[in-house]
Amino acid sequence: MFDKILIANRGEIALRVIRACKDMGIRTLAVYSEPDHDSLHVQAADEAICIGPGPSPQSYLKIDRIISAAEVGDVDAIHPGYGFLSENAHFAEVCQSCNIRFIGPSPESIRRMGDKSLARENARKAGVPIPPGSDGPVQTEQEAIKAAKKIGYPVMIKAVAGGGGKGMRPAHNDVSLVKGFLAARMEAEKAFGNPDVYLEKYIEEPHHIEFQILGDKRGKIVHLGERDCSIQRRHQKLLEESPSPLMDSDLRKKMGRAAVKLAEAVHYENAGTMEFLVDGNGNYYFLEMNTRIQVEHPVTEEVYGIDLVKEQIKIAAGERIPSEFENLRPQRHAIEFRINAEDPAMDFRPCPGTINLYYPPGGIGIRMDSHLYGGYAIPPFYDSMIGKLIAVGPDRATALARMQRALDETIIRGVKTTIPLGQRIVRDQDFRRGKYSTHFLERFFEKKVQAAS
Amino acid sequence: MDIKEIKAVIDLMRKNSLTEFEYEKDGTKIRIRRGPDGEPQVFASSPSLIPTPAVLPIPTGLPLPVTAPTPSPTAPAATQEKLPSINSPMVGTFYSSPAPDAPPYVTVGSVVNAETVVCIIEAMKVMNEIKAEMSGTITEILAESGKPVEFGKPLFRIKPA
Repeated sequence: MFDKILIANRGEIALRVIRACKDMGIRTLAVYSEPDHDSLHVQAADEAICIGPGPSPQSYLKIDRIISAAEVGDVDAIHPGYGFLSENAHFAEVCQSCNIRFIGPSPESIRRMGDKSLARENARKAGVPIPPGSDGPVQTEQEAIKAAKKIGYPVMIKAVAGGGGKGMRPAHNDVSLVKGFLAARMEAEKAFGNPDVYLEKYIEEPHHIEFQILGDKRGKIVHLGERDCSIQRRHQKLLEESPSPLMDSDLRKKMGRAAVKLAEAVHYENAGTMEFLVDGNGNYYFLEMNTRIQVEHPVTEEVYGIDLVKEQIKIAAGERIPSEFENLRPQRHAIEFRINAEDPAMDFRPCPGTINLYYPPGGIGIRMDSHLYGGYAIPPFYDSMIGKLIAVGPDRATALARMQRALDETIIRGVKTTIPLGQRIVRDQDFRRGKYSTHFLERFFEKKVQAAS
Repeated sequence: MDIKEIKAVIDLMRKNSLTEFEYEKDGTKIRIRRGPDGEPQVFASSPSLIPTPAVLPIPTGLPLPVTAPTPSPTAPAATQEKLPSINSPMVGTFYSSPAPDAPPYVTVGSVVNAETVVCIIEAMKVMNEIKAEMSGTITEILAESGKPVEFGKPLFRIKPA
């Protein structure tokens, strides 16, 4: 087992990894940017090294400084968290060549499944259904029009190097397709350094359902059920739950098997997530794979009683996945709400600021994963997520009631947050009945606007 | 001691030009020292506090920032600490000489210009020559040869030309 791990991240996920290390008696080294000097993850770690100023490209994305810190700190392994360098194949390679274990998949896996259209190709070869789409990127407007005709409108234009909901736009006819195609290429070049786009069928009223995968060094792959992440605003997840209200044990078996098959086909190791779109008729289509631990991993942890970050560390250290993980049934229901420091009244503009009062919720079935504390100053350089509130119960109704109670109980003063939005979502009749798709939030906001006028 | 009491002590220290104060009761110990730039530093230890990092200690063990009153230093040493410093632009191990038996690149009193190499920082087996980037006289050496340094760590105090 590792003696010491460097956490190449910040905020709540850095704290999460440090906690898992403490549970395992592993020493921790935090790296931090200058504005993160007083951050909770820095204080919780055994050691800390400053790696640069605020902006991520000069600190959390500086591979050379992170590796130097790893050497100075004499660590055995690096946990990259999510975002930042977690899906950077080059970083994983540098770790390898410096004899530092990268807690995640191999650089090849990251490359193979990180490229969205390559991933679709791997899915197709593994016999996993994919949304009808162009075979690879479309390079010209003429190609795009031809592909769209074959797929049938409406279609979705997506960036090959995109992800996290970025670089996507729909098109309902040839005119909007051509306009969208050119604009998408420009955006993709700017955002990802790669202008290539491909087309996919736009599935109506879908649920976004993803499967948690774990793979060990011996090639054993298991799945740990699904998470329904349909509640999204501009393709950013806001709320996730497991089990999905749409799922029954047959569909779970089918999709689980497909997810495992695809992970096996690419010899995947460590934690990963297969994302699918599911329509109202039980038809599922592979979307993309995330080759890292995800923000919403606590949902799966609570439902199956497993510490996923600990399992990541064990797998990286060479341990086998326990055979008990193969046929797990969901034990409980869990819902997670992401708390962002954003102003819903100003189109969710991020509002960094200083927290002058923080009272986290508690009680039975409540878990709060957050790096907040009273007096903490949220720096303006990073994303606006300041915590994840997870409610757990023996069934959905109990989890929902606890989530409502916990949201009502939470106090965060000093910045605007999305808690009031969460309070309204859990009281919404459609949501309570489990009747929602990825269009839910859009319609939810329209309802509000109509009610106000 | 609570935050009000700590602030009162800091105020008293400033008013009476005291530099150090120590208090211990029931396993809790607090030491307040006026730092090189006159800013108070609070060191506290109690069984339940989150331990401070071992490699590069952060001066305060408390998560809450202590708001310090602006001091008016009278000691001659204080003027030196207002001088600019040459800070580390990278993470690595600081070496004051090009080789173990060689003389150091600079000493207190050395006159440097922007191109003068003042030290080496070793990172990933590469020896990086660090330049002064400004002209002046070295007044203090703040890093220890052979010890690790982080980004931003002050290495030398310099009196600009």
